Amino acid sequence: MKLSVPQFWRVKENQYKLIITVCGECGRKTMFKRPVCPHCGSSKVEYVESTGVGVLESFTKVYYKTNSSEDRLPELVGVIRLSEGVRVIGEIVGVREDELREDVKVEAVLRRYLSDDPYGVIYYGIKFKPVLTH
Amino acid sequence: MRAHIIGGSVVKVDRHFELGYRDLAYKVTKDCLECSDVDYVIVSSVLPELSAHQLDLGTHIVQWIGKKVPVARVESGESSGLAAVELAASLVASGAYKRVMVVGVEKVTEYPTYTANYFYSLTLDYEYEVLRGVSPPVYAALAMKELIKSGVRRDCFSNWAIRMHENAVSVPHAMLKFKITHESFKDAQVLSDPLTLYDSFAFGDGAAAIVVSSTPDRNGSSVEIVLSKTEVGLPAYARDNISDLTASTKLLKEVTNRFELDLRKVAVELHDSYTTYPIAILRSLGYMDDRCDLDEFEFLNTSGGLKARGHPIGATGIYQAYEVFKVLTDSLGGKRALSEYGLVHSMSGPDNLSRVLVLKR
Repeated sequence: MKLSVPQFWRVKENQYKLIITVCGECGRKTMFKRPVCPHCGSSKVEYVESTGVGVLESFTKVYYKTNSSEDRLPELVGVIRLSEGVRVIGEIVGVREDELREDVKVEAVLRRYLSDDPYGVIYYGIKFKPVLTH
Repeated sequence: MRAHIIGGSVVKVDRHFELGYRDLAYKVTKDCLECSDVDYVIVSSVLPELSAHQLDLGTHIVQWIGKKVPVARVESGESSGLAAVELAASLVASGAYKRVMVVGVEKVTEYPTYTANYFYSLTLDYEYEVLRGVSPPVYAALAMKELIKSGVRRDCFSNWAIRMHENAVSVPHAMLKFKITHESFKDAQVLSDPLTLYDSFAFGDGAAAIVVSSTPDRNGSSVEIVLSKTEVGLPAYARDNISDLTASTKLLKEVTNRFELDLRKVAVELHDSYTTYPIAILRSLGYMDDRCDLDEFEFLNTSGGLKARGHPIGATGIYQAYEVFKVLTDSLGGKRALSEYGLVHSMSGPDNLSRVLVLKR
């Protein structure tokens, strides 16, 4: 078993949603629901759920293997500027690697992260896909 | 009370299929004369639980090498080695112990490379980075793209790798003792574009040991640990730019100002897991323009750095400390620095945490 079910269950809110921590002291926004602002250390924080829509600022085609399979290579991983102004890093799916461009509009989608093959639990979380404009 | 490095030893970084954790630790301490009479042992290692199914490695090592002294193991990601040296210096400077042996040991090549890649990725946040497809080369690639967009030429990063391989040729314990050229990059395997295999450190097994003592060596072959300092950075995804290595930059700026050090003149080992990072740091410190000229740095990563000496993760910081000690007191790869100070820099992940060690002749 690759993953502990309780471990994934504990962080499900941050895996299934895009929660932004907004600091009541310094005003900075940071990805993920977290107890303390990483910029100023204040625990006076509030949470906002992102709409999941943003712009792809940068991306890289990843050929770095961390398991025995080459099925998904290259993976596309990008930096997304969400409409709420905060940046998040995530996998880009639903697009051919030679068709992806910077500055395209993307939206969050729920996709498979990994599974305990062959009979184990499947873990899902957020990835991003380009928004179709036609 | 002060703390001094009085000696040490290293094993060649390589694929040591015939040697396990205990064997490597025995090999490196057997060859270290100063290691014979110590009253505490600190073991720095990152992967034993993952790569050798072993907990409490420190105890098993002292039992194996026949030391009946207290032992503790340190794990702090890629910066574990310098964390161990910091702890040793504290134990000695406090008067609690007189001679502490610090052993860095790592087995990285026990499994296929993709498994080593996975283990290494776990220095990032597993739940919020690794599960989302982020691995260390991804950050190094995205940071490299930022720097290229800001005007840094691609061959600037290649220059770093070429220099590191040149340095490593004459270093006996370096892993990649061969030269590369700009041509090498044209057909290089891409890890995460634009980052290639030649921009990346080499995975290797290794072991290094140093002895930290309350008294200097009688023959003058020792250096004093005058400062050990750590700074925690922001997660890379929370920065304005991934290439903003603020923890490293802040630390290095602080120590170079305080001790009036010019990195072009002193013996320095910079953490260069990927070519992106030393270039980002040296630019932030004002040492480098867009031409990225490295010629005026006399004792920059004399070892070949993580890039070419190799990166046995938990042992790397001990290698770096040993190497600066050798450049200051004897020689390494035929080079000896005349400067009074030497500097070691280590970081874990893309500047998640950075450490600096200042050594004085």
